[in-house]
Amino acid sequence: MLLKTVFVRLLTTAITLFGVAIVVFVLVRVAPGNPIAMMLPPGATEKDIAALNAVYGFDKSLAEQFIIWLGGVLHGDFGTSITLRQPVAELVLGRLPATLELSSIALLLAVALGGCVAVIGARKRGTGTEVGLDLTSGAVLSVPDFLWGLIFVLVFGVLWPVLSISGRVDPRIDIDFTTNFYIFEGLLRGRLDVVGSTLSHMLMPAMSLALPLAAMIAQLLKQNLKEALTQDYTTLARVRGFSETAVILREALRNAALPTLALVGVQFTFLIGGTVIVERLFAFEGLGNMAIDAVINRDLPLIQGIVLLFAALFTVINLLVDLSYTFLNPRLRHG
Amino acid sequence: MTMTTAHAHTLDIINLNIALPRGQRLLRNVSLQLEPGEVRALVGESGAGKSMIGKAVLGILPHRIKRTEGEILLEGAHLNAMTPATRRSTVAKMSALIPQDPLTALNPVRKIGPQITDPLTRIHGWSHQRALARARELLDRVHIRAPDRVMHSYPHELSGGMRQRILIAAAFAPSPRLIVADEPTTALDVTVQKQILRLIRELQRETGTAVLFVTHDMGVVAKISQKVTVLFAGRVIEDAATRTVFENPAHPYTQALIAATPTPNVSAEPFQPVPAALITELHRETLAADALYAQRGRR
Repeated sequence: MLLKTVFVRLLTTAITLFGVAIVVFVLVRVAPGNPIAMMLPPGATEKDIAALNAVYGFDKSLAEQFIIWLGGVLHGDFGTSITLRQPVAELVLGRLPATLELSSIALLLAVALGGCVAVIGARKRGTGTEVGLDLTSGAVLSVPDFLWGLIFVLVFGVLWPVLSISGRVDPRIDIDFTTNFYIFEGLLRGRLDVVGSTLSHMLMPAMSLALPLAAMIAQLLKQNLKEALTQDYTTLARVRGFSETAVILREALRNAALPTLALVGVQFTFLIGGTVIVERLFAFEGLGNMAIDAVINRDLPLIQGIVLLFAALFTVINLLVDLSYTFLNPRLRHG
Repeated sequence: MTMTTAHAHTLDIINLNIALPRGQRLLRNVSLQLEPGEVRALVGESGAGKSMIGKAVLGILPHRIKRTEGEILLEGAHLNAMTPATRRSTVAKMSALIPQDPLTALNPVRKIGPQITDPLTRIHGWSHQRALARARELLDRVHIRAPDRVMHSYPHELSGGMRQRILIAAAFAPSPRLIVADEPTTALDVTVQKQILRLIRELQRETGTAVLFVTHDMGVVAKISQKVTVLFAGRVIEDAATRTVFENPAHPYTQALIAATPTPNVSAEPFQPVPAALITELHRETLAADALYAQRGRR
């Protein structure tokens, strides 16, 4: 049952990615801006342009170019970056860990923060505390992630400079890791200096990404908790002597988490989308920052590689959300 | 904290009034007692307040509904004089609830076993082994065939009748002095109703637990209770031994309720609805009582 689900999802994922590949391939080529023109000095002749076009294969028809590129992709060759002159796969996979760590930490922060606020709100339902929390989360929700980034830079980078506002890690630290997962590998190797520096650099961008999602989780989870707290099984738990907090945590939370999870999955993909601007803001060396450079430089192979990777990431996350949904809800487990 | 007298009723409700925020009363000067080992049926039509009495005792009134007057004593202890936390643990240790709808009273995402044993270990302070043994014993007693397999199941894997038997087992597990059974057969189909009723009666006799049995079914009243309290619009209309009520009902409303109960005896007269004139009279009385109550409150 579960295996079949996974298989079907992998198949639809492949189809989705193929569609994304076509769209992005065509789009970057019909959009104004030409990478070749940007590479040549002013005053280059038509002949110069045509010659360089031929070097990169841009003289061929769109369909031909696509087939050549797709053939490479199927062999794991995503082409070569025009500006950085390195294999796209290498560049993109080198940056992926930074973005994965950033968005995972942001997700953790959002769930922890939003979860706590939701539980407190449900515990204090019907009081001024609940109203206060509702108003606060409403306000937090209405400020987008990049604006939070700017606010943080202003407060903790300029007015009260306690946190570093750029980069992923202190450049003075010598890092000889095999992967680019600084937090993960740092923990495994016991290099707490790397972990600490990475986390302190990550705090502001992660908080910027986490706050809107945290507010959303706080509101939705609280609503679902309040719903669960009117159910008979919670009443029975109260009769059996459990305190209201125990009833919320032990009886209501897992039931309320189910509908919340569906939203978190969707919103997490938006959060990853948000890394593009937020990484730029904090000069964080991740995929998003690279994506902006690639777009500015019209680095077509690199744009394609990054977009494809983002698309793959989104589908994997959706799959994980669906699987965890099955795991959390016993009624779905036996199908 | 407790004011235990030489002979304490298991439950003693004295002049209880509960009301909505704007003052509309749902229970009107209700008094009733429950002796140890006694089954008292609370009957009345929908909205008569019979469930409210159980909820008031257990401390699970909807939060807008408040007690405005009166006392509730459990084993001689004044519940209303306690702090909320003390009241909660006192009620939990002395009483239990068999809920109306077994389909919604079990947590859908938790296994059956912990839902029975958790209160025993966490509230009653039993060891895990003891709680588990007790759960097994009680599940066996309510005719659950494979207690261990059932304890590892989720509610959706079991039938409604099985779930109600599990809830009965869970209610009797900590050996409470009082059980509130809130229409425990209403949500079940007729064949299962009989079994459940028999099971509650048997367990009640074996354990000597007092039961406050909320129902609207006079047939059930006859089968299970020794005493009856008949309610109309939150007022006690009649309070007597079950036998007396059936043989010689004092109040015309009780007579009408009994007459309105269908019997399997085909040769008997077709059942009669409660006469409209009687209902009108009862409403008039209720309004008059409310007016008097309000007047007294103003003075």
